Amino acid sequence: MAGEQDKIVEEQIIKKYEDLLRRYNILNRISRIVASTTELDKILSITLKGVTFGDGFGFNRAFLFLLNQKMDRLTGRLAIGTETAEEAWKIWGEIQKENYSLEEFISQEKLNDQGNLSLNDRLKKITIQITPGKIIDQCLTGGEPVNVDLTKNSLDENSDYFIDASKIENEILELIQYPKFCLIPLISRTRKVGLLVVDNKYNNREITQDDMTFLMMLGSFAASSIRNTIIYNELKESLNNLAKVNYQIKILKEYNENIIESIPLSMFVVDNNFILTACNKNFSDIMHTSKENLIGKNIRNFKIFVNDFNLIDEIANVMSEKKIEGFYKVKIVMNDVTSDSIFNLMLVLLKDSKDSIDGVIGILEDVTDLVKLEKSLQEAKRFSELGKFSATIAHEIRNPLVSIGGYANRIKRRYIEKKEFDINDINIITDEIKRLEEILKDILDYSSDKKADFKTINLCEVLRYCIDLVKISAEQNNINITLLSGENFLDKYNLIINGSYDNLKQAFINLLNNAIEASTSKQTVYMDTEIIEDSGQKWIKIKINNKAFIQNEKDLYKIFLPFYTTKIHGTGLGLTLTKKIIEEHSGNIDVESNRENGTTFTIKLPLLRIDENV
Amino acid sequence: MKKVLVVEDETSIRNLYKEELIDEGYEVITAGNGNEGYELFKKEHPDLITIDLKMPEMNGIELLDKIRKEDKNIPIIIYSAYSEFTQNFSTWAANEYLVKSSDLTEFKSKVRELLFCK
Repeated sequence: MAGEQDKIVEEQIIKKYEDLLRRYNILNRISRIVASTTELDKILSITLKGVTFGDGFGFNRAFLFLLNQKMDRLTGRLAIGTETAEEAWKIWGEIQKENYSLEEFISQEKLNDQGNLSLNDRLKKITIQITPGKIIDQCLTGGEPVNVDLTKNSLDENSDYFIDASKIENEILELIQYPKFCLIPLISRTRKVGLLVVDNKYNNREITQDDMTFLMMLGSFAASSIRNTIIYNELKESLNNLAKVNYQIKILKEYNENIIESIPLSMFVVDNNFILTACNKNFSDIMHTSKENLIGKNIRNFKIFVNDFNLIDEIANVMSEKKIEGFYKVKIVMNDVTSDSIFNLMLVLLKDSKDSIDGVIGILEDVTDLVKLEKSLQEAKRFSELGKFSATIAHEIRNPLVSIGGYANRIKRRYIEKKEFDINDINIITDEIKRLEEILKDILDYSSDKKADFKTINLCEVLRYCIDLVKISAEQNNINITLLSGENFLDKYNLIINGSYDNLKQAFINLLNNAIEASTSKQTVYMDTEIIEDSGQKWIKIKINNKAFIQNEKDLYKIFLPFYTTKIHGTGLGLTLTKKIIEEHSGNIDVESNRENGTTFTIKLPLLRIDENV
Repeated sequence: MKKVLVVEDETSIRNLYKEELIDEGYEVITAGNGNEGYELFKKEHPDLITIDLKMPEMNGIELLDKIRKEDKNIPIIIYSAYSEFTQNFSTWAANEYLVKSSDLTEFKSKVRELLFCK
């Protein structure tokens, strides 16, 4: 008996070991097949097929979920098994009949092709939020398989089973629709990867402790493979992307470099430490060296001056003040050697995508030819003006000279002939000489290149002085002068400008005298002042109006041209000079004339500030 | 007595010419611009006209044209401060062209020539 019993025990042990060996064998074979691929879907499919292979673990159904990157959600990825028992028996029967090996079984598409598709589809739609305290969280956190048997109740002694349905996610219950199943955490080292769920819905086989041990071994192996594959694929993808990006960057760089090299500008880039990080050939040409000798060097080494400014200081300025700096028509001095060419230099901040400052880009434009052209144009203009100037001077001077000479000859002749002279003849001579002097003064004023002495002055004082001065001659001719902005405007404000008191006086006296001369008795010359603001700059706008109307509206602009005059006497230089003075003060002057309102001159001058007198 | 019309916008020169021509023994009438000059030409029937080229409103050339359309024979002297006007065709309708000078000898001799030596 005992021998028989021993034999039974022996057989049982042998069977158990055979079973273990078989399963190790299967596990070994699954792992080898899994290791041969890096495709995630294939690994998942192999794992699940291995789980369900009749000769191996032989589970009826297997479901695989993967964790998302944030590890807070599970998504159904692959299911093996059928929806109904009939289908299951049918397929399993066929597979049994063919007597597939594991490898053949794994390569079998049958399981994928038939009925189970809907199970797979159903699974793939499932996303489960991981909730602390519920079964999935417990399984993944504990790292241990959980065997569920909802047919057991709390009174059963065997506590190895998980029996609390309320702690099982509904999604799982709805998917499985069977009270006995096992959850195996897929954990690679410490990293949770996913969850494997198996059951024996169709043959009702109990899931044993041994099953779970092997499932854990398979699970941890599958988890590692899955994790490796995910990492591999991510790596591969990022490498691909990197290669793509690199390629794009290379193309972009080449493209940019081509542009930068071919533009007729010199460019350089310095970083925050004044290291020259990039430049084009034009720039290295200016520096009389090669690009290789420049890039990577601190530009302090090169002692570059822009006229009298040290380039380093200006770059530092641009960086600290965060603004663009421009230098026009400058010469570049490098290591005490001055360039032959003339440049416009622009320093622009280089910002990265986060708007923080990376350095400064310098752009040099060679404007030598342009400056030469400008100069010759100016010379040509000066010569043509000079030609006209000479002709007009000849005319303007000849007239008084003819009278002076003519009367002098007349006095001489009469004195010789009759020993007498007329005091009126002499008066004409002195008057004409006075006129000549005035003409010469105008000409000298106009042609003087002497820069006026600019100071901070109150324009109101200038205007008050001019009005008081011309008022005398205006009143003699019965002409009124009215300040439209109110008589106290000029006393109420101090309009501070940077300018020349004498020149502005001359400009406004010219304009007011013109207005008075053009007016007839009982007419009024109006003056209006208004403070305006244009793009942050305050301006004073002064209008001087008289009722006389200048014909030839289209020729109105000629009024400012030299030697253009509508008056009998006059050099035609008064308004030209006025315009020149106003423009020297960064202002502008315009004229309008029509029958209704007469002639209005509008002068705009930029103000430094406005003080109000209390 | 021969009547001379002086058309000149510059008062001092106009008076100088007037007095010098009176001293020469002519009757002198004067105009300060082209329009006035044309009116006096029509009204006073002068024997000779002297015209300044550069004048406001109607200038010397316009006046010359206007007078020549009505009278092909009246002697006319054109003068100006500009010597380059001697090359201007439009002044050829005048009998004489003179550049203004403080020495009126030439001017007076041309007036005499044109009045008595036709």
